[in-house]
Amino acid sequence: MSTGSRSAPVTVASSPQFFDSAHTRRIMWTVSAVLTPAAAWGVYVFGIHAFFVLFASIIAAVIGEGVMARILNRRTLRDGSAVLTGLMVGMTMPPAVPVYIPVVASLFAIIVVKWTFGGLGSNWMNPALAGRVFVYFSWTPAMTGWTMPSTLPQADAVSGASMLGLIKQGLSGTGGHVGSPLRFLRDAGFPVSTTDTAVTDWLNQHVLHALGFSIPGGYVDPFLGNIPGSIGEVSAALLLLGTVVLLARRIITWEIPASYFLSFALLTWVFGGARYGTGLFGGDILFQLFTGGFILGAFYMATDTVTTPLTSAGMLIYGGGAGILTFLIRFYGAVPEGVALAIILMNVFTPLINRYTRPGRYGLSEGRR
Amino acid sequence: MSYAGIILTFVFVNNFVLTRFLGLCPVISNSDRLDHALGLGAAVTFIMSLASLGSWLLFHIVLQPLGIEFLQTVTFVLISAGLVQLTSHLVSRFVPVLERFVGSYFSLITTNCAVLGITLIAVRSDYNAGESLVAGISAGAGFVLALLLVSTLREKLDHEWVPEPFRGTPIAFISMGLMAMAFMAFDRALLVNLVG
Amino acid sequence: MALGLCPALAVTTRVVNGLGIGAALTFVLVSSNVIIALLRDVIPERGRLTSYIAVIASLVTVVDLTMQAYTPRLSEQLGIYVPLLAVNCLILGRSQAFARRSEGGHTVLDSLGIGLGFTVSLTVISLVREVLGAGSITLFPMGNFSGIVKIPVLSDSPARIMVLAAGAFLVTGYLKALFNWTRMHQPRSAQPSQERAV
Repeated sequence: MSTGSRSAPVTVASSPQFFDSAHTRRIMWTVSAVLTPAAAWGVYVFGIHAFFVLFASIIAAVIGEGVMARILNRRTLRDGSAVLTGLMVGMTMPPAVPVYIPVVASLFAIIVVKWTFGGLGSNWMNPALAGRVFVYFSWTPAMTGWTMPSTLPQADAVSGASMLGLIKQGLSGTGGHVGSPLRFLRDAGFPVSTTDTAVTDWLNQHVLHALGFSIPGGYVDPFLGNIPGSIGEVSAALLLLGTVVLLARRIITWEIPASYFLSFALLTWVFGGARYGTGLFGGDILFQLFTGGFILGAFYMATDTVTTPLTSAGMLIYGGGAGILTFLIRFYGAVPEGVALAIILMNVFTPLINRYTRPGRYGLSEGRR
Repeated sequence: MSYAGIILTFVFVNNFVLTRFLGLCPVISNSDRLDHALGLGAAVTFIMSLASLGSWLLFHIVLQPLGIEFLQTVTFVLISAGLVQLTSHLVSRFVPVLERFVGSYFSLITTNCAVLGITLIAVRSDYNAGESLVAGISAGAGFVLALLLVSTLREKLDHEWVPEPFRGTPIAFISMGLMAMAFMAFDRALLVNLVG
Repeated sequence: MALGLCPALAVTTRVVNGLGIGAALTFVLVSSNVIIALLRDVIPERGRLTSYIAVIASLVTVVDLTMQAYTPRLSEQLGIYVPLLAVNCLILGRSQAFARRSEGGHTVLDSLGIGLGFTVSLTVISLVREVLGAGSITLFPMGNFSGIVKIPVLSDSPARIMVLAAGAFLVTGYLKALFNWTRMHQPRSAQPSQERAV
């Protein structure tokens, strides 16, 4: 059983090999900065407790990082990676969750998933998501209790549930027929904000009318972030804005988000309707994209360079696989959202994907940037 | 359960290695090279399928009618050991080419928890003959999947800066723990909704 | 030693399970070594492995049936993992290595030690898993004591994943690392032979 020779002069670590601190620091802080608007929106619509959750996860992550760096005698990696991990963990938490849960999630992410394997760059599973999944399965009731955003009118009938959660319940209740998700939610009493109605009407009248179709109300809320969900995942708009920055600065590349989006959207469109009872080719893509943390997952979590394949081909396979898994879990499994599990499952397959998508000249691969 | 259900159960929902802890010994000791892993996986799957069917036959044709079900442990183990001997003998006799790939693994399989495990599970789950066979093949496939994943993972970990106390077995276990956690995505509900 | 643990990990969800399977293993280990040592001269070279397997499997069946009769709930919890002791790498490995060469006394004591070590490891793992994952410690019911000790804060919202498969792997991995770490920092002249992987 090979244990790697620490006394050998040459060791080959897997890419990325070099962590020039300035470069890493810039990337980490940029991503954190880009995520902050979405996180702030979460605090705005969900209340002050959400802020405490975010604060706790970040502090726990930083403390965990400090302790581990001390124990392992690494030069202090104050490179912003711990803050970013903490922020990501916090953003995937339900807003009303008891504070010990994000603390455990952060500590698990930093200590178990990151440092036990050797620190930044050595882990093979996404730390923030692994932390989230760990606490999800450990304290499931607390992790599936949601808060209505302050921007939506009161609706006691559906308090505590998320949109996808309601639909999952509906699926088992009505024996597999919920029809169009938005209509199902309206019937269940799920409220729509006045902003949504206003924007939808405006769009229908001025833009879409010319193109010959109209959209029902209810899409704008998920896009803007007026829906229950994890603290940082609800505002698709702010997250997408951030994505533009990341792409422009080449912090993330297009392959994974594109393939993830494509496979998920395609499967949703073709088979999603069949599952919900509206027939083949009748799936509601927009709804699925803007709920359940898909945007956050596809653009920010699934693109982590350390835990994803090295080559373009590999990345496309990875994204495609994540899309398939998210579709399966969301539409057929017990877990309502699926994104976190899909991504960490694909992390498991990444070394295998790398094995079979090796570039021709080993060691002289073109790299991703 | 339908055949599709059995396959999905043994490969994903109740993966032998990641959920039931069977077949860990060979996974931990043999997973550091991919080609070894594949050879072992093929041999194990083959034996598991035969053993599963064979034990089922033995149980329903001999043990149950005679009321000596309690002998299942002893007889199933002997069947598996016998099958391994027979197969390895046949391989070296008729297909010597294969010997190079799978020969050395047969001794390992004789005492493999996975093989005995599937025979016991198949009998205790009240499967019929066909279902037993499919269960054996699927469990083997699940084993191969786990083995593949762990092996590629460990190849990668060999190049990383894993802290000294964790190198080797500990980090393998911890990795498998994370894998097992990820595999929890495949739950009973998924199975039922997908294949009914 | 990690190798022999494999399937037994599955049952380490309660302390009493760890104790139970450890006890079963110790019994089979010791008795099989004794029997095989006694039969050493009678068994021909060729049928050696098979006869060892047969002996071990029979002893396992005895233990299994005994447990089913006298400790039915424990037996149910342990499920197929008691019969699986029949192919436990540790037991088979030791029967081959020792029963051939040593006299009766030496074998039994060593085996007893190994069995106890095994039981201790499993019980520790069970303890961690049960305390974190269920907030309790389950022991044998005695008289009025139901056997379950609840831990105040943890039993309200335990980390359930610890009593699932992932928890077992994680706890075992860290335990083994701890073990390695203590060995690294206390160099001994001779490594006890049972630490070597089979």
